[in-house]
Amino acid sequence: MTAAVVAERLRVPICAALVLGTWQIVFLSGVVPEKYFPSILSIATAFWQMLADGSVLTAWAQTFGRALIGLVGAAALGITLAILSDLSPVLSRGFRYVSDVLQPIPPAAFVPMAVFMLGLGAKLYAFVIILVTVWPPYLNGVAALSGVGAVQLNTGRMFGLSNWGLLWRIKLPAALPEIFTGIRYAATISLIAVIVSEMLAGRDGIGFMIFKKAFALRTPEVFGLMFLVGLNGVLLNGLVNLLRRAVTGWHLRMMERPE
Amino acid sequence: MPAILTADGVGKSYGSGSARMPIIDGLTLSIAKGEFVSLVGPSGCGKTTLLMCLSGLLAPSDGAVSFKGQVVDQPPIGLSVVFQDYSRSLLPWKTNLDNVLFGMRRVQGMDARAKRARAEEILAAVGLTGFGGHYPWQVSGGMQQRVAIARGIASQSELLLLDEPLAAVDAQTRADMQDLLLDVAQRFKQTCVLVTHDVEEAVYMANRVLVLGPRPTRVVREVVVDLPMPRDQLTTREAPGFLHARHEVLALIRGMRQGQKLS
Repeated sequence: MTAAVVAERLRVPICAALVLGTWQIVFLSGVVPEKYFPSILSIATAFWQMLADGSVLTAWAQTFGRALIGLVGAAALGITLAILSDLSPVLSRGFRYVSDVLQPIPPAAFVPMAVFMLGLGAKLYAFVIILVTVWPPYLNGVAALSGVGAVQLNTGRMFGLSNWGLLWRIKLPAALPEIFTGIRYAATISLIAVIVSEMLAGRDGIGFMIFKKAFALRTPEVFGLMFLVGLNGVLLNGLVNLLRRAVTGWHLRMMERPE
Repeated sequence: MPAILTADGVGKSYGSGSARMPIIDGLTLSIAKGEFVSLVGPSGCGKTTLLMCLSGLLAPSDGAVSFKGQVVDQPPIGLSVVFQDYSRSLLPWKTNLDNVLFGMRRVQGMDARAKRARAEEILAAVGLTGFGGHYPWQVSGGMQQRVAIARGIASQSELLLLDEPLAAVDAQTRADMQDLLLDVAQRFKQTCVLVTHDVEEAVYMANRVLVLGPRPTRVVREVVVDLPMPRDQLTTREAPGFLHARHEVLALIRGMRQGQKLS
């Protein structure tokens, strides 16, 4: 086995060792006071304690559940809006104006008004998460649906598909790969929106926990929780990819094939 | 033989007022059942637009197209188009077999199993035994076009409208595909209308070549190809009848091109 093959096989442990090693070197150099930059070991210990008393698992389940529900809702709404846009040029232009205005607003900016309107709780999370997460599936959906080629549509019409048939049997299947690209972006945005909402208006969840621990200067716990947030992203992306492989596996294999 | 497809004074133009651009003007033709007719014409004369009008995918601005005596206002059952761009016409999320089955969605009186058997039989006839489970993007261009041809035939088609079906395949494959097309057209009793820019191909394949004029196009000449079927890539292309027909069509098209340059 050559060195390159060994490096390829061991890429995950090598990368982990590099990151952890750099962290530990910064820690040992003392550039940042230990109070704000704890060692790997103290982060791990703090994380283990939170795991052992169960608090972190509950918080994780709440946060991940909210992100997942928000993502599913946003994807469903985004695809619905994209289909409506495809059916009606008037709606399409209208939605486009709305999305141009709403899209640049960060989740944090929605929270105060959402608290007044909806109170604290599930409605607030749903509102904030879906409002910031809906755009990538919607925009990708619009682009993909309008990009379906004339030859494919003529093929469908030739074999007797109605306009509805064309939408369900030609346009949507053809557009799904691009829609899934939007859903992958949306997954990350959904997680960000959940954490922000929990920090600003939450009573539980990882975002709320991070805020609480940070104010108590429990730095190792804060870093541990941040790591967990990152893991959530990996997990949510993994779920989206599983679904994507199940629904549009043909497209992934088509893209992977050697020319 | 009775006519299976007729076009009566068909016109098609895009735009209106001063921007009106006529593509087809007063085109009349009649295709008899069982014929193989080629349509050739100078580049850009509107061959593809004509085929879209004949198929019911595009509504003519004037005149009417009839298929088996019925006016065509949408793609009728029994008529199918084989597009030049097979890679876009085959649905990439369906396997080759499922693409053929998609073509059979309006076929009546067959259960799922019978349809599947029929689809497999037609795939075998175009030389694709064992490729039904592949996706179109997993097979060569020539094979993809054969899947598209199989799909067209499987839709209980009687009339195949072929829109430069072999323009995108390489020269060697093209000769094989010409013979394959002639073979399956005969075997599955398909009347064929072939649009092509390749005069040799037009003559080789057809009983009759209709030469189209420059835009706005209409039929300017009918050239009967008096050669027996089946055709043969070597002997047919050397036969006096072939050379004569080819000469006549080429001379007509060259005359039109020079006329266009002068004007």
